[in-house]
Order: sequence, then C-alpha cells, then structure tokens
Amino acid sequence: MFQKQQRWAEMGIFKKHVIINAEQEGLKTLVMPTGVKDVITFAGSFLGGSLFSPETNRKIAPITAAMMDKGTLAKDKYTISDILESVGAELNFSNTRHHVQFTGHCLKDDLEIVIQLLAEQLRTPAFPDEELTTLKTRMVGNLERSKEDTKQQAMISFLRSLYPQNHPNHRLTIDETINHVKSVKKHELKRFHEKYYGLGNLIFVAAGDVDPIKINETLGNQLNGWGEKKISFNFKGLKARLNKENETKIEIPEKTSMDMYLGQAVGIDRDHPDYYPLMMAIYILGGNFSARLMQTVRDQQGLTYGIGSSLAGVSFGSDGYWSTWGTFAPDLLDVGKNATMEQILNWYNTGVTQEELKAKKTTITGSYKVSMDSTGGLTAQILSNAEKGRNVEYLDQYPDTIRRLTLDQVNGVIKNYIDPNKLTFVAAGTFTDK
Amino acid sequence: MEWRRKFLKVQLQIYMSPKNNKIFHGFKFVKSSGGIEEYTLQKNGLTVLVLEDHSTPVATFMVTYHVGSRNEAIGYTGSTHLLEHLMFKGSRNFNKEKGTAIWTELQNIGAQINATTWNDRTNYFEVVPSEHLERAIAIEADRMRFAFLRDEDRQPEMTVVRNEYERGENSPFDVLDKNIWATAYQAHPYHHSTIGWRSDIENVSTERLQEFYHTYYWPNNATATIIGDFNKAEALALINNYFGEHNASKNDIPGMYTEEPEQEGPRRTVVKRAGQTGVVGVGHKTPEGLHEDTYAFQLLGKILSEGKTSRFYKTIVDRGLATSLLMYDFPLKDNGMFITYTFLTPDTDHQTVEDIVLEEYKKIINGGVTKEEIARAKAQTRASVAFSRDGSYAVASALNEAIAIGDWTFYTTFMDHIKKVSTKDIQRVAKKYLVEEKSTTGWFVPKTTKMG
Repeated sequence: MFQKQQRWAEMGIFKKHVIINAEQEGLKTLVMPTGVKDVITFAGSFLGGSLFSPETNRKIAPITAAMMDKGTLAKDKYTISDILESVGAELNFSNTRHHVQFTGHCLKDDLEIVIQLLAEQLRTPAFPDEELTTLKTRMVGNLERSKEDTKQQAMISFLRSLYPQNHPNHRLTIDETINHVKSVKKHELKRFHEKYYGLGNLIFVAAGDVDPIKINETLGNQLNGWGEKKISFNFKGLKARLNKENETKIEIPEKTSMDMYLGQAVGIDRDHPDYYPLMMAIYILGGNFSARLMQTVRDQQGLTYGIGSSLAGVSFGSDGYWSTWGTFAPDLLDVGKNATMEQILNWYNTGVTQEELKAKKTTITGSYKVSMDSTGGLTAQILSNAEKGRNVEYLDQYPDTIRRLTLDQVNGVIKNYIDPNKLTFVAAGTFTDK
Repeated sequence: MEWRRKFLKVQLQIYMSPKNNKIFHGFKFVKSSGGIEEYTLQKNGLTVLVLEDHSTPVATFMVTYHVGSRNEAIGYTGSTHLLEHLMFKGSRNFNKEKGTAIWTELQNIGAQINATTWNDRTNYFEVVPSEHLERAIAIEADRMRFAFLRDEDRQPEMTVVRNEYERGENSPFDVLDKNIWATAYQAHPYHHSTIGWRSDIENVSTERLQEFYHTYYWPNNATATIIGDFNKAEALALINNYFGEHNASKNDIPGMYTEEPEQEGPRRTVVKRAGQTGVVGVGHKTPEGLHEDTYAFQLLGKILSEGKTSRFYKTIVDRGLATSLLMYDFPLKDNGMFITYTFLTPDTDHQTVEDIVLEEYKKIINGGVTKEEIARAKAQTRASVAFSRDGSYAVASALNEAIAIGDWTFYTTFMDHIKKVSTKDIQRVAKKYLVEEKSTTGWFVPKTTKMG
C-alpha cells in the first residue's frame, strides 16, 4: 500500500494511516491497516502494573494479570483455550511496571471471536483456587531456577544498589519475590481487579489486514458498560540513592561465564530536554555492534561475546539509569572490567566525534524504519507511544528529533550526567579469586 | 565508494522481456511456488529466490550457504560457526582499513544485520530500509569469495566465540540438550552441537578455516534470497552485477556421507551440576526433514505441547509438576530428534515426569489422537504459516530453514502437506518412531546449593 520512498516515517505515515477512535469513554483504539494478508496483530494496555500492587505484596498485580487466562465466571480455561487454539489464535496477558498488557494475533476472520474472549477474560475472571495454587507453584519454581541466572542476579543487585525500596526502578531479591508469591491470597487479587481493571485509560492497537470500523464496533459492543476507573500516578518525587563507588560480587557456583553491570543513576526521565542527547551519547558508547564497546572490548580485544550500554528506567517520570553490561570468562573478568573502564573514561574525557554522531543518527532513524517490518513491530511502536500519552504524530517526528541533535548537546550531557568516579559495579558468577 | 559507482552501470544492464516478466539478463527461471520465484545465475550457478512485497519500505537480503556443522569432523567442530564470525572481519572492498567495515557500513544505515550457523546451513542477512538494498548485495557478494580470514583476526575472535560457548554452558538446558544429541548420535556429525567442543574452538588453525571457506563458499553452493520492497528487475540486475563476477567452484562441493547406525536400545545420560531445579529430556530419532512423516510429527508436537489444551500441559504443567515444557522437532537435512523437555518444579522428581511423558506416548501409540485434536493442531499450523508471511525477515527466515533441508518449497507447500495428515498417520508415526529402543533420555540433576 505504500509507495517506495526515501523518508518513509517523515512523510507522516502514522498520521496518515493510523485510524484513531476515542469516541467511547475511556477507550482509545489505534488501528493501522497494512499490506499483509489475512493476519492481524493486536496489543493493548491499561494502568495496573506491578507498581500499583500494595507495598506489602508487589506480586498482587502480576498474579492478577497472570490469572486472566485461567478461566472466567462462564468458561473454564480449557474452554477458552479450545476456542483460541481451534482457530490458531493467541492471546496473552502480562504485567509491566506500570501497565497490564495483552497481546495477541489471529487470522482476520477470527478477530471478533478473539475480542469477545478478551473482553470476557478481562471483565469476569473467576480466580479459581486450584489455578492460583498451581500458578504459584510454577512461579516459585521459575524463581528458584533464576537464582542460577548470572545476568538476572547481577541486574537485580545493580538496581537495588541504585534505587531505594519505594522507587519504580528498585527490584526485590529473588527470595523476597518468592515470599510475596507464596503469600498472595485470592481475595487480594479480586480486590485489585475490582479497583484497577476497567475502562478509563484502556488503549487498544491493531495492525495488519484489519478493518478499523469492524474492530471499533466489536470493541464497543464487548466493552460497553465496563466500569470506568479513575487512576493516576506520580513517581516524579521518588529519587535514586546518591551515586557512590560501589562493588558487589555474587557467587554462583560452577558457572563458566560471568555477567557484569557497571553504571549509575542519571536523575532524569524521558521527558527531560537532555534525554535524547544523553541517549545518543550512550548509544555511541555501546548501543550496537559498531559502537565503541563492541568494537574494542569484543572486536579488537576478544574479551567478550557481548557488551553494551544503555539508558533505561526513564519512563513515566522515573529518574533513570545508565548501565553497561557485559559477559566474561571468570579469569577474564578483571581484564574485561578494566578494558570497559578504559573506554568509558575515554568517552567521558574526550566526548564523541562529529562522525560518530552523524553515523548513529542514520543508524537510529534507519533502524526505526526497519523495526516496522512486521505487524508486531508496528503494534509495539504505536502502543508504547500511546502509553506515554503522546500523539501518533510523535512517531512521524521522531527521526527529525534525532537528526536535530548537535555535537555540543551530546558532549555536554556526558559531563553533566556521568561521573566515572561514582560507579556501581556488580558481577555474578564463579569467582576465581576465592 | 566502489559499489555506488557500479550501480550506475547496472541500470543499463536491466533487461526484461515485455511478454514475460520471468526473463532477466543472465538468469534462468527455474520455478515458482507460493509467489516466490527461483532463478539461477547462469554464469556460476547461484540460486536466487525473490518475492516482491511493498507492505513496508523494508527489504531483507539473505545468503544461505549449504554448509553447517554437519560438514565438520573431529578436530574442527565449531569451525563453520567460527568461520561465520571471521566473515565479519573484512573482505576486499569492505574492511576497516578502507573505512568500510561491514558492521559499520550496514548499521550506520539502520540495517538489522547478523549471521547464524546451524546443523545444515550458514546464513548471512541484512534487513534494510529498501533504498539501501544494493549495499547489502555488494557486501555479501564481496565476502563470498574475498573474505580476509587472517590469523590476527582469528586470535581475538576465538576468545569471543569461546565466551559464547561459556555462556551456553551456564544454562542447564543447553548442557542437557548437547548431551542428549551427543548420546543419540554416535557416528553422524549431529553428534556435536554447532558451537563445537571447547578444545576445537581453541585450537583449530586459521589454515583449516580457510580450507573450509575455499571448499564451501561458492555461488554454486549458496542461495540468495530477496524479500520485500524492491523492483525485481533492478534487484536481479544488482545480483548479476555483484555476484556475477564469481566463477563456480572448480571442484564439486563435497557431500557428507556418514550415516548413523541403527539404534538398538534405549540410551540415557545424566548431567550433575550446581543448580536449583531439574530438567528431563526425552528424545526419539525422526526421519530426514523432507520425509513425508515430518508433517505428522509437526502436528503430533502441537497436540502434545502447544497450548493449554495440549496433553502435556494438562498432565504435567497443570498439575504443578513443571514450570514449563518445551518440545521441538526441527526438520533437518538428515535425521532429527523429537524431544520433550520438562523444567521441573522444586519438589518434583525426574522419574515421575519421565513416566508421564512415556505414558502419553504409549496412549497415542495404542489409541491414536482425536479428530478434535488434529483439527486444532491444523488450525494452529494454518495461523503460524500465515504469520510466517508477516514481514520480509519472517519470510526470508522461514525460507532459510527450508533451503537448509534441501528444498525451499518445503516452506510454500507446507500447509498443503499438513492438510493431508490423518489421525491414522499420527498414530502410525508414533508407533514407528516413539519406541523405547530408539529413545535417548537425559536428566539434569542439580547438585543442591543454597543461593539467595
């Protein structure tokens, strides 16, 4: 349906092709028909993620979401699964820090059936006792297994060093999470569902071989009368701990590769004017294979299979963090850390070059286009943008936002937000220096 | 840059018959299936697959070499994969010295770029904004015959690959999977995993890798695939221009003739390491991917393990015996494996779950599957086939695996074959293959350690 063109995103393709319907109170749909045949990918969300759990038990929200496919008042989970699987459709529920999310795909002729089920599952979950017991057993098993995951352990420890307990970027230890899972009660889930699940801030996105009129009619019929929830949040007041030099080693026996995290809190969120310059500076350090860290620590020195650097934890008002992650053989950890630090110090002291900035601008704008190769990619982009409260035009304007960044802006923020003398370092695996 | 200058000349060479849009200068049309057309570049035997699709302004270019870890032997296991890594270290026109390093050239335009190695094939691919398709073609053509493969590049890359191996060894599943294949296959090179044995990764010489490259990296041992937003005549002209400079190999591409002897009894393997929870894997040998029984196996796998209505979900996961399960039966060029992995919950013992898996197999051998089960599995397959057309990379990726097993139309005709499978076919293959004598069972047993 699109003509070949050099600057696709800049032609206002989202504004032109995404059909928005916000007529129904508390529901916004964004539908993008594409040239793909027969298939539809959809996704949606509303506020009710893990941060909305009571402080006494952070797993109430995730387990509520996980119970959405375990049966409704009218249908048990096998009946639901049978309906979906009989047409080859998929429908999954999950939980982010802020949102309850659902994703799915189906053939175009089956969309109505799938939306009917989606609405029924969200509106009238049954929370069967035996399903909750089994789910908790499985979750505990997965958590026990994750104790031997070197990356997971290092990441949890890193974020716990950076953020206090009430901060959105804080993480529970695995044992704390296991205790929360074990103590969740059915009545807590029902109460949470009652409070947060409903219209109000519900977003529904679909892309593919989809008819916007039909989808809006179906959604309107199925969600009509669902209670509207007035939910808001503000995490802007919550701050990271003060950065300081900090080192943690987590021993996990008989591992042949170690995971390392290195970084610090940066104190700004995605809406801050310095966000994009800082994101670009960090991308030049370690955003992809041709960035500095992979080109030196991996490609030249051969010390690691993977190393990268990113800016994260910045959504919805959270003050985010910069982290560098890498894997090393146990006997190469110190050498690897030093090689990484050498690159970080060089980046901090001398900044990035005009050539690097120019190259990474085309990388980011080009990969933005490539990420829309499938209906899954399109749906994810549109939903993520809408969740942040942005107009769809923002997606069209994004490439120009990146192109406008100047060298002075990018180098300026490195000095303002990074302090290489106050880095948190965490490594997990089997240490050779015991 | 050289490749840009060349493009101007290419425009003049486009030739297309007004009466037949399958006639292009330098190419022989071979066949079409499912909208995909196959051509042969006449000068050197390169196979080319094309599918125009203008849904999004993106194109995928992929070169699949018909060589994988099945072409390796003792002393140089993992060489196909190590060579794949070295292929990014530079070639005649694309290298750091000229300021045209492969990763930089492609990532600077936002391309998704990578390569993968597996049992039967090695593929290099670029997903690019469609206006940059020529750059991807130029790079792949250049490194097909002019890769540097220098010893000073192998030294640091060996430790990179070794860390990839070490990362895999961190995972109980990866370790158990390697052990099950190594136990099930004793003579055939599927015995070793694609990453290879650690000592071979560390010690294989650069000369051995170069020999491997000069044996297998030829246009007549490769398939180039272009999917997405491009003009077919222009794209084929580019292929002709860039790949057309190569000759076909002087020697025949050597075949792999080792056959796995008949398995004459059940085999077992146990891996004990520090860990938290156990894993059970139950595997049975399957026929080669292009065998007609493959389709029945694909449906049987869904009946046993896909979705909450599947048999194993009800009998294992739903009873809290496992956190999850994974079943795979990848069609391969030679025989494969139908394997069920069960990730146990903390208080579940291995034998209980192994018994349930074998009992379910027996039920199918004795009683077959129901019409409802096969109908559901076919519907699931129909949807997954439709989604394998969602995006240029999805199509190229699915084609890549079909090319690997020896016939790209396996992808385009897959659903037609699936439709013909009956409940009797499924019971027949279960009876024939899911028998104790052909089984290989593996347990990952954690040595209990307390970790918080």
